[in-house]
Amino acid sequence: VPCVSGGLPKPTNITFLSINMKNTLQWNPPEGLQGVAVTYTVQYFIYGQKKWLNKSECRNINRTYCDLSAETSDYEHQYYAKVKATWGMNCSKWTETRRFYPFLETQIGPPEVALTTDEKSISIVLTAPEKWKKNPEDSSVSMQQIYSNLKYNVSIYNTKSNRTWSQCVANHTLVLSWLEPDTLYCVVVESIVPGPPRLAQPSEKQCVRTLKDQTSALKVK
Amino acid sequence: DLRRCLISTDVHTIEESFRGIKKAIQAKDIFQNVTILSPSETLHSIKPSDVCCVTKNLLAFYMDRVFKDHLEPNPQILRKISSIANSFLSMQKTLQQCQKQRLCHCGQEATNATRIIHDNYDQLEVRSAAIKSLGELDIFLAWIDKHHHGTSA
Amino acid sequence: DAVAVLPAPQNLSVQSTNMKHVLTWSPVVVPEEIIHYSVEYQGEYESLYMSHIWIPSSWCSPTAGPECDITDDITATVPYNLRVRAVLGSQTSAWSTLKQPFNQNSTILTPPGMEVTQDGFHLVIKLEDLGPQFEYFVAYWRKESGAEEHVKMVMNGGVPVHLETMEPGSAYCVKAQTFVKAIGRHSAFSQAECVKVQGETLPL
Repeated sequence: VPCVSGGLPKPTNITFLSINMKNTLQWNPPEGLQGVAVTYTVQYFIYGQKKWLNKSECRNINRTYCDLSAETSDYEHQYYAKVKATWGMNCSKWTETRRFYPFLETQIGPPEVALTTDEKSISIVLTAPEKWKKNPEDSSVSMQQIYSNLKYNVSIYNTKSNRTWSQCVANHTLVLSWLEPDTLYCVVVESIVPGPPRLAQPSEKQCVRTLKDQTSALKVK
Repeated sequence: DLRRCLISTDVHTIEESFRGIKKAIQAKDIFQNVTILSPSETLHSIKPSDVCCVTKNLLAFYMDRVFKDHLEPNPQILRKISSIANSFLSMQKTLQQCQKQRLCHCGQEATNATRIIHDNYDQLEVRSAAIKSLGELDIFLAWIDKHHHGTSA
Repeated sequence: DAVAVLPAPQNLSVQSTNMKHVLTWSPVVVPEEIIHYSVEYQGEYESLYMSHIWIPSSWCSPTAGPECDITDDITATVPYNLRVRAVLGSQTSAWSTLKQPFNQNSTILTPPGMEVTQDGFHLVIKLEDLGPQFEYFVAYWRKESGAEEHVKMVMNGGVPVHLETMEPGSAYCVKAQTFVKAIGRHSAFSQAECVKVQGETLPL
């Protein structure tokens, strides 16, 4: 039995949250219906195609988000999505997103950062972030393959001198030599793609201590 | 390829101007089931050797049709459109020098792609076609950026 | 327009340094009255394709004047026409138009300010942030005869950037210039600044 459309206020703040092409539609409950057992139904639209399409896993759901990564995986296309709320016999009108363009709007996550150290140097090995994939066993696509001008901004903080400096690198290994022995250095890395500004996602801060200076250790003996 | 012809143009300034009007312009486009640029049929299949020609043709498409056909009452939006139009004019001048050096050859595929875009434009009422084309500037700019980023080190 | 009893502003000119553009004019003086001004611009596109179109300036329509920051209006590397008129209540003067159209590629580019420091053996530079349109070429070399000059491009000012890992006991010098891709021009180089690294020179 069709519900009474417009009997409920619309969900609000509908947007796509996109990180490494994992595209999640999210929204807020209708005004005044927080905590009420409202359910939601989602549809999406490929710009230029003919009709709205259902997302079966997001029909009459309780949560306020829906993963549309598979449906929006062709990142060079543009999309719309919409959601409506239902409660008992009443339902809201649809509320719709702006046009969503994954290629320009996805946030580029940080790379994986591996640090190894010796007395006076730290080696930093970066692994490019991966594009979302449907199944874990699917082959991985690096975000570098999508954005060939992807670079990394590496920030280094010397806790002893209280100084920070950064380096912009394109390749995946960086050796910081001639560091101070027995000193704690902290490293944070961000992925950068020249072009429209994107929300930056820095990596977790990682700190390593350079080893004690072996020569002075020998003198002490 | 395009990089040698667009070396001095800062596409990111144009993208920034478009970002200021994207939401307002795309919201006015009510025909979601129609595209003008139809990227998968046109832009995505362009060979590197045709990039300069397609860019030249699309700049002319926007300069001679879209910006003229769109009447904009809002001064803020008008400023952004003016910024984009004048940047496109600057790009056209750069490409004209490129043409003199015979680096802007038009192959059959480039000509077909351009014709599809004009045909799409003619299918719609002119104001709707203009507003839709303006809303698709991000597609065109991303395509230029992709073929031009070799210079944005 | 209203009858032009109000005199039009005179001596319009543009001063432009590091892509900041300011339009100035001689103030219109009417005893015991506060005069405002209205500034409009027209890019080459408008003058070629729709010459009747003039666009109100972002910040100076109206303004107390007698100057106007037109940086946000001049966003393409093409000639721009600029005009100003005086406004007193409902009265407006005739428009006064800049004699020569202004093109941002005539801006004066000055060498960037820079702060050269070291963190142990690491040579670090922090450049003056001149805005998103600016990139920076930094040249650095070891202060000894026949030393090779290295060049690094820095995309942003305002943050300390690592240049080189220095040899103990040596000295290094640095100079920098700006580059503006939109106009395809760069500034002169700054004065060189040098730093010395502690520690004895390494045995050869």
